[in-house]
Amino acid sequence: MSTINFANREINFKIVYYGPGLSGKTTNLRWVYQTVPEERKGEMVSLATEDERTLFFDFLPVDLGEVKGFKTRFHLYTVPGQVFYNASRKLILRGVDGIVFVADSASNRLRANAESMRNLRENLAEYGLSLEHIPMVLQINKRDLPDALPVDMIRAVIDPEGKFPIFEAVATKGKGVFEPLKDVSRRVLSKLAEHT
Amino acid sequence: MIEPTVALYGDAFNRAAAILEDLIDQAQVRYALLVDRKGFVLAHREALWAPRPPALDSIATLVAGNAAATQALANLLGEPKFNELVKQGEKQGLYVEDVNDLTLLVMIFDTDTPIGRVKLFGKKAAGELDEITRGAVVMPRELGIDKEFHESADAMLDDLFGN
Ligand SMILES: Nc1nc2c(ncn2[C@@H]2O[C@H](COP(=O)(O)OP(=O)(O)O)[C@@H](O)[C@H]2O)c(=O)[nH]1
Ligand SMILES: [Mg+2]
Repeated sequence: MSTINFANREINFKIVYYGPGLSGKTTNLRWVYQTVPEERKGEMVSLATEDERTLFFDFLPVDLGEVKGFKTRFHLYTVPGQVFYNASRKLILRGVDGIVFVADSASNRLRANAESMRNLRENLAEYGLSLEHIPMVLQINKRDLPDALPVDMIRAVIDPEGKFPIFEAVATKGKGVFEPLKDVSRRVLSKLAEHT
Repeated sequence: MIEPTVALYGDAFNRAAAILEDLIDQAQVRYALLVDRKGFVLAHREALWAPRPPALDSIATLVAGNAAATQALANLLGEPKFNELVKQGEKQGLYVEDVNDLTLLVMIFDTDTPIGRVKLFGKKAAGELDEITRGAVVMPRELGIDKEFHESADAMLDDLFGN
């Protein structure tokens, strides 16, 4: 759940990038960090191993600006994708407001995408949450790979009912990075407005 | 959007801020922060003599992550929880006290401040903050995020994240 601070007149939202290891979650956050103007972002914190694999999380705060007198801010997190880091992954989901699921287009990662989505559902369930409550969008990344699988094939294993908005991306080139982030942010805001 | 959240404002915020203020005087620490366990800063105060603090967002996020990891470790060992957390460096130390299941109290101090003093006043402040933060829990629908808020925010998203 978003955190509101009336005294400082701030509203904070937490957006989490989820997906299998090496699908490009950290690359997304780096692109956002490089592109958003200085005065609209905080420091990027990365808890990574020596070989740059995310160990615990990456974190980047970005300021939307003042909305109706409230400083509105998004806290962007990535989770570590590797299967054995599930304990850390679960912790990052605490208080999540929206999810960007980053799928990998590589032909040998189809199963990893499916397993990561199942793992996401299981971890949310432990908090008593489900994808019925938390807005989620799908980013199909690495579309530039020569062996990229068709989008429909990937979708069939992570979203067989076609319920979630889908975006194609090449995160290393910044293609399709902002669209899913903007879309999920919108959904988070409208979800919250719905309740009032 | 279904979890309750701590919304500190008005009188509750002022009381929390006053507790942090007293804590800084009594314990002689540089900074005192009340953060929620999701990693957001709820209130913070600085000693007048202290240099500008590092990014508070980053502190809150890392402390909350650390506390969550510590709790998970306790669970693995069959302990209900591990109390307090102290990190001591050459010049500065960091002390975290559980306030309750929603919030944490973070104090950053110079190493020439006795740790016993930091802990003593930290625990006292945490006890007082417990009641205040519990009283400030609201459900999302009470947050006052309405259609108008949503529409203005929407327009600003285009500006920040491109069209
Ligand atoms: N070809 C290609 N490689 C990518 C793309 N996005 C990320 N990568 C690479 O995939 C690797 C893993 O990316 P990273 O962001 O660390 O993945 P994470 O584990 O999901 O955080 C890195 O070598 C990236 O440069 C993409 O769109 N296309
Ligand atoms: Mg990563």
